[in-house]
Amino acid sequence: MTNFNFLDDDQLVDALLVEVAGLLSRLIEDGEEGAIDLLGLPLSPFCVAELERRLGRGEISVELDAIGLSKIRETGFPGVWWTQHVDESGRVIARLIETTAIPKILRADVDDMKRGRKLLLASIDVAVKTSRSAA
Amino acid sequence: MQNADDNENDDNTLGAMLAARGIGRRSLLKFAIAMASSLALPPGVAPLMAANLAKAKRRSVIWLSFQECTGCTETLLRSSSPTIEQLIFDFISLDYQETLMAAAGAAAEKTLRDAIAANKGEYLLAIDGSIPTKDSGVYSLTGGRSNLDMLKEIAADAKAILAIGTCAAYGGIPKAFPNPTGAVGVEDLVSNKPIINIPGCPPVPEVLSGVLAYFISFGKLPDLDERKRPLAYFGATIHDQCYRRAFYDQGKFAHSFDDEGARQGWCLFELGCKGPTTHNACASLKWNNGTSFPIQSGHGCIGCSEPDFWDAGSFYTSLAGGSATGWRNAGVAAAVGIAAGAAAALAARNKSRPDPEDKP
Repeated sequence: MTNFNFLDDDQLVDALLVEVAGLLSRLIEDGEEGAIDLLGLPLSPFCVAELERRLGRGEISVELDAIGLSKIRETGFPGVWWTQHVDESGRVIARLIETTAIPKILRADVDDMKRGRKLLLASIDVAVKTSRSAA
Repeated sequence: MQNADDNENDDNTLGAMLAARGIGRRSLLKFAIAMASSLALPPGVAPLMAANLAKAKRRSVIWLSFQECTGCTETLLRSSSPTIEQLIFDFISLDYQETLMAAAGAAAEKTLRDAIAANKGEYLLAIDGSIPTKDSGVYSLTGGRSNLDMLKEIAADAKAILAIGTCAAYGGIPKAFPNPTGAVGVEDLVSNKPIINIPGCPPVPEVLSGVLAYFISFGKLPDLDERKRPLAYFGATIHDQCYRRAFYDQGKFAHSFDDEGARQGWCLFELGCKGPTTHNACASLKWNNGTSFPIQSGHGCIGCSEPDFWDAGSFYTSLAGGSATGWRNAGVAAAVGIAAGAAAALAARNKSRPDPEDKP
């Protein structure tokens, strides 16, 4: 049977912060984005809270409403983001620390923009026709 | 390959189909992030997964129910509230499923033939239930055809086979001693197709979602272990993922279901928990939208995702061979109740093994 030598919570938090620093260096020096999947790690609720506290809060906080609420927040360290995705039943489905200038999920997708433009033009067309017929 | 075609301007792609329902790419990316996490893939894979899903077309799935109780279908389809995993049902075309489809009789048979012809070599074949082989498989028939014949015929043109639940994977309860129908699992009969086993009685629904999402995104099955189970979900034992594991390491055990140890939430090993020998994702993904799993509810794991779990002794006998004081009789009584048969209860209490001579 496997014999685990668990790190205590403080050691785990320190180890993760070292990894975050390494990922941030890669982003700065090579432009390479990174992420740590926190749900994939055996972290206690205390450990998660402590990690969140140590990373702190930055200037940007975004709420994304897409098949459940997601909270995306820049930490106190620019380029390091704390992301939590929740589904419609309220269950946390992903919790990530991302190192990126801006998380991909915040950027508008080209296909979505094209569909949006089509809808926008159609709505203008309808508005113009309506105002003409009213006149 | 069907999944990664360049279908950007095609209204039949999953991306276009979801957009028409008001589900944008951010939702798809969020789904992919959740699936990548669930599949233990690097988080950086999610954008690629989302892009592939957006370009893919719906994958035909033919679902055959053989010697089973419909529990697998129930667990996969019922949910108290919508979950992100249910998006997967938008990604597949469930072309044949006897429990769910409206068609019956000759119309159902035609549906099956049409689905096979239209998706030859590309459909996924999902099986729940074991396959009886004794007496030419006469113990389970659909439309007058034996499950055995149907499996052989329909597997021939499948892209891959998903054996859903312990019965389809390993024979399960129908295969338990004395196995009167000669029940076996899919891999005992099919050897020339990619097979993935998703065992469990029933299986964890999120595992099926993850496997389907991976297959549709990348056109292949995820990494499997030696029992053909997806490694991401079956790579560790329940014991190794269990939140009570620390109590095991400290030697703190519940000795009965109502003692101080049980109240303190200590390890259930002595009460027969099969977590140390059972591979599954119950302890990490949990059940009912991540609410709980058997051990969290105070009962040991019964090892339902392992081969021959029903014949592996009483659920209440510890893996070390002992049985917790005062619970032996209750354990046997429960086994009798569950099995609804004195023979099964006796087999469990006496830790009888199936006679190799009785195997098909």
